[in-house]
Amino acid sequence: MATERRTDIGPPNYQNFLPSVIKKNYGKWKYHEILRPGVMVHVAESGDKLFTVRAGSPRLMSIHRIRKFADLADKYCDGHLRFTSRNNVEFLLTDDSKIDALIADLKELGHPVGGIGNAISNIVHTQGWVHCHSAATDASGIVKAVMDDLHEYFTGKEMPGKLRIALACCLNMCGAVHCSDIAILGIHRRPPRILGGLNKVCEIPNVIASCPTAAIRPATVEGQATVEIDEENCMFCANCFSVCPALPMADALNDGVSIWVGGKVSNARSEPTFSKLAIPFLPNNPPRWPEVVEAVRNIVEVWHKNARNFERMGEFINRIGWPRFFKLTGIEFQKEHIDDFKYAGLSYKRSVQLRH
Amino acid sequence: MAVTKEEVAEAIYEIVKEYQGKKKFKASDLTKAMIQKYGEAEVDKKLCKAAIRILMDSGRCVYTYFGGSFIELPPEEGVER
Amino acid sequence: MAEPGKNGTPMLDELEKGPWPSFVTQIKEAAEKNKMSKALLSLLERSYHERIGHWKHGGIVGVMGYGGGVIGRYSDLPEEYPDIAHFHTLRVNMPTGWFYTSDALRTICDIWERHGSGLTNMHGSTGDIILLGTTTDELEPTFAELTANDFDLGGSGSDMRTPSACVGPARCEWACYDTLALAYDLTQTFQDELHRPAFPYKFKFKCAGCPNDCVASIARADMSIIGTWRDEIQIDQKEVKAAEEAGLNIQRDVCNLCPTKCIEWDGKKLEIDDENCVKCMHCINTMPKALRPGKDRGATILLGAKAPIVEGALLSSVLVPFTKIEPPYEELKDMVERIWDFWSEHGKNRERVGELMQRVGLGNFLEAIEVEPTPEMLAHPRENPYVFYEEYYEEGDEEEEEEEE
Repeated sequence: MATERRTDIGPPNYQNFLPSVIKKNYGKWKYHEILRPGVMVHVAESGDKLFTVRAGSPRLMSIHRIRKFADLADKYCDGHLRFTSRNNVEFLLTDDSKIDALIADLKELGHPVGGIGNAISNIVHTQGWVHCHSAATDASGIVKAVMDDLHEYFTGKEMPGKLRIALACCLNMCGAVHCSDIAILGIHRRPPRILGGLNKVCEIPNVIASCPTAAIRPATVEGQATVEIDEENCMFCANCFSVCPALPMADALNDGVSIWVGGKVSNARSEPTFSKLAIPFLPNNPPRWPEVVEAVRNIVEVWHKNARNFERMGEFINRIGWPRFFKLTGIEFQKEHIDDFKYAGLSYKRSVQLRH
Repeated sequence: MAVTKEEVAEAIYEIVKEYQGKKKFKASDLTKAMIQKYGEAEVDKKLCKAAIRILMDSGRCVYTYFGGSFIELPPEEGVER
Repeated sequence: MAEPGKNGTPMLDELEKGPWPSFVTQIKEAAEKNKMSKALLSLLERSYHERIGHWKHGGIVGVMGYGGGVIGRYSDLPEEYPDIAHFHTLRVNMPTGWFYTSDALRTICDIWERHGSGLTNMHGSTGDIILLGTTTDELEPTFAELTANDFDLGGSGSDMRTPSACVGPARCEWACYDTLALAYDLTQTFQDELHRPAFPYKFKFKCAGCPNDCVASIARADMSIIGTWRDEIQIDQKEVKAAEEAGLNIQRDVCNLCPTKCIEWDGKKLEIDDENCVKCMHCINTMPKALRPGKDRGATILLGAKAPIVEGALLSSVLVPFTKIEPPYEELKDMVERIWDFWSEHGKNRERVGELMQRVGLGNFLEAIEVEPTPEMLAHPRENPYVFYEEYYEEGDEEEEEEEE
């Protein structure tokens, strides 16, 4: 077996997967236009046109559904398709007369077309209870419920600018939600429990070193080496749990969801920036998380109603000020909104430029 | 260099074996230990990399992950360790 | 607990309602033919009732010789759900730019039908194809079939992760360098770093073709390579006029929103003070037919983005303000090697390169990786006067120096 083994080959070369119109016009595109929700055309210097139809997906997909996408690619796109960084599926056509039929087939299959330009695109998200050991909430379920509710913004309802939503089911943020217009973040609120036999599973010095607030100390319980936790200093990051499985954090009574707003990654107009805390805690209320759905819709609607053209959430809030954001959204301002970690001081208001 | 990658592989294996269950090593820990043992003139990072690869490809050692990747002897598989 | 067909999955069924495509439907589709997916459905229903996950760490599985690419996962209720007692994930390198042929997709589906749950993520957060759930015994056979079909595993643990790229020159007129070519080259060049973890923690590359950063590299990549240009924005004045005639309010929606107010429109001619343009893309985004990035194109290289764990979230910061990005990318790769050397030497377990850079100070970090400091790297120079000077003179030093000369 060892002699036959192939390793270190990397992915197949993407060049073999490009449609011929792309190969021909690679690097020679001139401009693009959004023709209607979810459909755009790229025009090359040569005059060639490439039509893209973008459809939403749940990200978690069965092989049976992927095969159906493959069939659609064969039927309409000479067997070519791609996925986007936000888990949408894009069908690449050269014949625009096929677009309507493709969209009809996608709808039949249950996949809405949209998410291009000033729209709410698909929600980038993580595994949640489907597959993660450190999840503080489910991911796919909330995403489904929120996208059901905001569906019209994906499929074409007019918006002032782009709005990007992301979800991570714990602070590890596999979904790197920290720079989203709206981020939905699962949080723990109870310090880790300390399981017996910890010293058999984990190296205690590593466990102690893992805590960013130095809240973990060595201890001896019934003659066994273990750790103790200064609960007042625990901010529930779960880094200790990542290092040591004998310190579980998940807790049905205390886990839930927080909402963050105003981040972006694009450099357009304002610089990329982190999202800021809007709502410290909402309960895990499966299967449809109504409190989260309502909170997200409320924030979207306040932005939708009040933002100027092209203003992203963060730019909008910067213009009106945070106090007014809380007023407009009706979100209660609490102690938890005030940072108390490393660079907390940088977030204090140090001027009298206030709106009264 | 007089020291071969096979010799370094053996030396690394001995350390991993000795500390199995007591201390986990990262690739860089073992590299530093080898450079200390044989001296910079005899051993460099590349040689250590090759030595670790010998241990991995033969299955004598495996990578494990506990909030970081470590090099250990192949454990008995099971849910509980 | 809830077995589909017995007690059913009343909570999950709620998530099959509504217009957005449902992941529950997807699990059910797979569950028709696959007992792992069927068991997953039951276990997930239980999580929905109990409001807690049922998965455990699994840090010891993988394929022979690799230290990354497999995420070990075990149910904490193996007796009740024996079919998913093991439920490991394989991360598979996506084709760069996420381009597929229908045949390639079917190949992956067929392999996963034979060896796993039949469930996937298209795609994972880093960009890999995620094959969701299989047993330890199936890992090697899956890997063998994947490699026989020219697919390989991605990273996990303390290694390089699969580099990802925006659609780039394949379908975007704003691509300032070939993001696909660079990401693919980095992936192939650093196969060892991808598969055999030797770093203090993970390292991600993301290649974005322009400052719109469609792969979120500035937020999510330890090294963010973001396309830009250093000459004049290309203007087609006729198309500017056409954009206005089509209803765009150029003064309000373009000029007034320019961050440096370097763009002016008098109703006839659009003028840009390119020396003061910060390449934010807003005007180009707004008038894609009229404006295009300049012709002298390359990239800004930034370093250090990460999510909160451990020391707080970071955005990448500027390392190289402008460089040409052309094969074989030797200069870039040499710099990457110097960064990895320093990080491997000095980084603590689970310390990302951005955290190390802050801990030792950007100035010291730059010295170590042999990069000259420039003002572009900072939002502004220091405000605090506590400067660490490394040397000072003793009486008589000056004379000695002169003598030496």
